[in-house]
Amino acid sequence: MINLDKHIKPSRDYYLALGLEGSANKLGIGIIKHPKGELTATNRAEVLSNVRDTYISPPGEGFLPRDTARHHRNWVVRVLKDALAVAGLVGRDLDCICFTQGPGMGAPLQAVVIAARTIAQLWDVPLVGVNHCVGHIEMGREITGAQNPVVLYVSGGNTQVIAYSKNHYRIFGETLDIAIGNCLDRFARTLKIPNDPFPGYNIEQMAKRGKNFVELPYTVKGMDLSMSGILAFIDSLAGDMFAGNKNKLLVAADGSSVTPEDLCFSLQECLYAMLVEITERAMAHVQLQQVLIVGGVGSNERLQQMMAQMVQDRNGSVFATDERFCIDNGIMIAHAGLLAYRMGQTNELWDTVCSQKFRTDEVYVNWRDD
Amino acid sequence: MPNLFSLLESENCQIQTQLSSAMPDLIPTATYISPDLKKDFHPGCGPHSTQGTTTGPSDVVADKGAIDKDRPTEASDSTLGELRARLTTLQDQVNVFLTDRMKLGAAKEEDDKDLERRILDDGVDEDDVE
Repeated sequence: MINLDKHIKPSRDYYLALGLEGSANKLGIGIIKHPKGELTATNRAEVLSNVRDTYISPPGEGFLPRDTARHHRNWVVRVLKDALAVAGLVGRDLDCICFTQGPGMGAPLQAVVIAARTIAQLWDVPLVGVNHCVGHIEMGREITGAQNPVVLYVSGGNTQVIAYSKNHYRIFGETLDIAIGNCLDRFARTLKIPNDPFPGYNIEQMAKRGKNFVELPYTVKGMDLSMSGILAFIDSLAGDMFAGNKNKLLVAADGSSVTPEDLCFSLQECLYAMLVEITERAMAHVQLQQVLIVGGVGSNERLQQMMAQMVQDRNGSVFATDERFCIDNGIMIAHAGLLAYRMGQTNELWDTVCSQKFRTDEVYVNWRDD
Repeated sequence: MPNLFSLLESENCQIQTQLSSAMPDLIPTATYISPDLKKDFHPGCGPHSTQGTTTGPSDVVADKGAIDKDRPTEASDSTLGELRARLTTLQDQVNVFLTDRMKLGAAKEEDDKDLERRILDDGVDEDDVE
């Protein structure tokens, strides 16, 4: 069994970590408390604070790195103060400061790591660089209690099917081009759907009102999938719809016209069916019965429903978290970082450079030995 | 990157320095070093503000008429607040300098291309030949 307490402070029986996340348009800062010993169903991590502020771009526009980084720079101190106040702590109480080291957008990552470096030096607390995807996985496991699941990681920047093996989270399948959240966000821009609270949520609400399924390309390639062609196809349909061009695909079986709601419905059904297919194949391959959905798109109820249907057929169980933990947040960075810290992993200042490319399977998960 | 940033205590910034509290004023400075140029940046004696001229929202966002909810807070009159304001001035200076350098580089590249074209084609553009 792994000893997670080799680095505990004398006269303490718990750990405190602060996590800063800013790899995309969410700036999140959270503080987590781990009790001494292995984390189990009766010895669980405690969320002391989990504060988030989102950069929202104008309708029809994506979030640009420069403006997103500006948002993070100008809000980080306020969010940090909130996180500490909610937790009732001061900086010097912390065991470590964890930050997202990648993957993500360069400028926002850079804005947040500067804040992390600054407070680490102010309070004389070690830094721990965290892989964003591993943050999602570890937080999902802790919140749901899923022991060893196949993980479907779906967000604006990532789409991966992952399973744990020999101290690494191995990627079994992934997108070959754009991420699923990016596909949904870009279609939301085509439809000029507002970005508040987030485009995927607004698409989901519209999809609920959709009645007619429009057949779209279905592009699963082995264990991988491709979504850029689907986006181009549906964008062109939407273009014809708005321009009033004749297109037989825009006429439903009952003769009525296809609506934007129908397109949202069709896009969701098509994309989620592809995700369910590769997840099922991964489950069969690694012979696991649990599925954990993490990442911002994981909060989509229709995706959860379709996944549950598949998993039920295999007598398995599906786990998902609510938007506090699904959507990018600081607490997941604090949690994964603290696990690494407890195993002795810290980053010297020179080793805190962020990277836009930091794959899930690069991380040595030495806090697990199963 | 040939940028070096350092925080130095003030030595020469007027009487205000001497009138300030126990903590000395913090003056951020920056130095740009490249093979052909070395340039020092100093925020000067102000006035300084956290509302920089180059650190606002991008034109794409501004043109959409979006309300800027992400403005930095005003600087307080504490030592660290004044440092924030001076840093914004310094950042403006660096941004303007680097943007000009990039424009200069792009113009030089265009000139070089033009020279190459004139040497190789003797100034005759094939498209112009009837």
